[in-house]
Amino acid sequence: MIPVVEKDLCTGCGRCLEVCPPRAIYLEGERAKIEKEFCEECGLCASHCPQGAITIPWPHYVPHSERIVP
Amino acid sequence: MKGYKHLFSPGRIGPLEVKNRIKYAATVTNFNFRDGYVSDREVAYMEAQAEGGAGIVTTQGAYPDPKGEGKGFMGQMAIYDDRFIPGLARIAEAIHRHGALAALQIMHCGREGGVELDYCVMPSAVPQRLSYFKPPREMTLKEVEQAVKDHIAAARRAVAAGFDIIEISGIVGYLISAFISRYTNRRQDRYGGDLRSRCRLMVEVLQGIKAEVGDGIPVGIRLCGLELLDDRGGNTPEESLETFKIAEEAGADYVSATIGWHESARSVITRDVPMGHWLPVARRVKEVVSIPVMMAFRIFTPELAEEAIARGDIDFWEVCRPMIADPRLPQKAREGREGEIVPCLACNLCFFRLYYHQPIMCTVRPTLGHEGEPDWGYRGLPKASRRKRVLVIGGGPAGMEFAATAAERGHEVVLCEAQGELGGSLRYAAKVERGDEELLRFVRCLEGRCKREGVQIRLSEGVSPEGAKGFDTVVLATGARYAKLPGEAPSVLTPPEVFEGSISSERAVVIGGQGVGIAVALYLSGKGLKVSIVEGERRLGRDVNPFYLWRYLQVLKGRGVEILTQHEALRFEDGRLMCRCPEGERTLEADLFVMAVREDRWAELETWRRWAPEVLLVGDARRPRRLHNAVHEAYRLARGL
Repeated sequence: MIPVVEKDLCTGCGRCLEVCPPRAIYLEGERAKIEKEFCEECGLCASHCPQGAITIPWPHYVPHSERIVP
Repeated sequence: MKGYKHLFSPGRIGPLEVKNRIKYAATVTNFNFRDGYVSDREVAYMEAQAEGGAGIVTTQGAYPDPKGEGKGFMGQMAIYDDRFIPGLARIAEAIHRHGALAALQIMHCGREGGVELDYCVMPSAVPQRLSYFKPPREMTLKEVEQAVKDHIAAARRAVAAGFDIIEISGIVGYLISAFISRYTNRRQDRYGGDLRSRCRLMVEVLQGIKAEVGDGIPVGIRLCGLELLDDRGGNTPEESLETFKIAEEAGADYVSATIGWHESARSVITRDVPMGHWLPVARRVKEVVSIPVMMAFRIFTPELAEEAIARGDIDFWEVCRPMIADPRLPQKAREGREGEIVPCLACNLCFFRLYYHQPIMCTVRPTLGHEGEPDWGYRGLPKASRRKRVLVIGGGPAGMEFAATAAERGHEVVLCEAQGELGGSLRYAAKVERGDEELLRFVRCLEGRCKREGVQIRLSEGVSPEGAKGFDTVVLATGARYAKLPGEAPSVLTPPEVFEGSISSERAVVIGGQGVGIAVALYLSGKGLKVSIVEGERRLGRDVNPFYLWRYLQVLKGRGVEILTQHEALRFEDGRLMCRCPEGERTLEADLFVMAVREDRWAELETWRRWAPEVLLVGDARRPRRLHNAVHEAYRLARGL
């Protein structure tokens, strides 16, 4: 899953740029931007972001009512 | 066919007959939903495992408690409520469709649990050694009793979902192992104290489940054969051995011997540990119990497993990573097609990703996690609508993967390699450390695929842009270029030149401290050179799997390699290297400089475009990265050709 950058929370500190193995993050207008083609979906940026501005969009199993009835 | 008389002979677990001695072992995938429901992706993956021919297919560990204290991974499946039964039943059905026995593992992650909480539960609040895990909280007596009930209820649900075998996980720091270990269990109540008391949780879980599910359903357990926690006051090897006997007494129908905890100070499943290294531990377990004994842990080839069973070290071969890499491993071994097995390289990409809350991925198999999506091609790729003439330049992993995949789609493919043999940078990576020669297994695998798909391979054949005339598509898989510095020094080599040539220098400076620079430093320091690494960034190895990096850094330090981070290499001057560091400028002297800073080849694209209508860059030529990027990118681009 390609991580998602919450623009309002990102301060442009650049920590994610330092840890990204394929160098797939750059700053655009002082906000982190992920190059989708090169993102290897490793999640390092999310775990290193001091602001919690990068998250991995984990899906929940919805809608429950429709799916759990066999 | 080599026979594999033992591997493919029927086995027995409790009352059940198993068609062979191969058990796909429990592996967390992170494919499931965050709330514990089974996903279509997981079902398709498990079905592929069963289809591959293993006698027993084990699910990933399901956590048994509603609070999620037992949940160690974001996408771990749950079994704490009846509402999970329909999803679990889909896995059991998928396994049964292919004639395998379905085992469900129950896993309370204990010391490594509470992934979505701000604490984890443990027998005693022994601080974490690895900062990743949650602060521990001691379980009350009531909570321990509840954990026993949770495990029993989970087993009941597993049977309701149609599973044939129940497995309990008691390894690496998970709840049951944390109770068994002297290191983490300091309780004064009946669940702590001597070994038998520390094993009480395990015994009550086993006995409770046996009583719940009856004799028709075998119950097995995975336990630590060696904790490797001597530096922390963990159990002795004798005590660990005793736990298997206690499990047997409590009614276990089989045991699996595992090695080490996640916080053990040494690595147990990396390439530096030779294949089959841990079999003597299984053998000792086998000598003290009379139920079947299994083991995974670096038993990577069917040949090795066959020998181990023949020798009486194990009764069943548990396979984790090698079947992530190739679920069809059992089938290929049985049919004598060992050469077609896609080999696990023990790179631990799969394992590492779990700790960053991402689904597992496999370096050598891009289709992992997409088994149920026909266009991903796990069961074969569709033919291209138009047959193209394709020239692939560069016989490294990216070039070979591209060539084989494009040929599989029906294209006419010529692969040119300037060197006399295939492999590209993998040939150099294979020379770095003991065990790295295993990387060549993948080179042979890709070469075999190219040949079977009819790729015309031309060795020792460089290609000039004019040579691209007549091809529809040219693929530049020529690897990275190495950066150059201004100025001159007597001996400046690139990493390939280091690995190809003979080195007579004494003092080397490696410029660049990412994966390639680390590899060169390991290689040269191993040959006795005094080595310094110069890296502009604050840390080394951003592109190295942390599961390997910590050990590499340990080895480098042990060999006295000087690590100069935040040192930017500027130029050569009078045969010396000038660097900029936080303190100002600095000069480094050496009789060998290695330029291990990689660059892409986009600049070459225009020249080639003049001769071929379509030119693609792939792998390190596109952007210098790691092996899995090269393989996955090549697969993706060739799939779309």
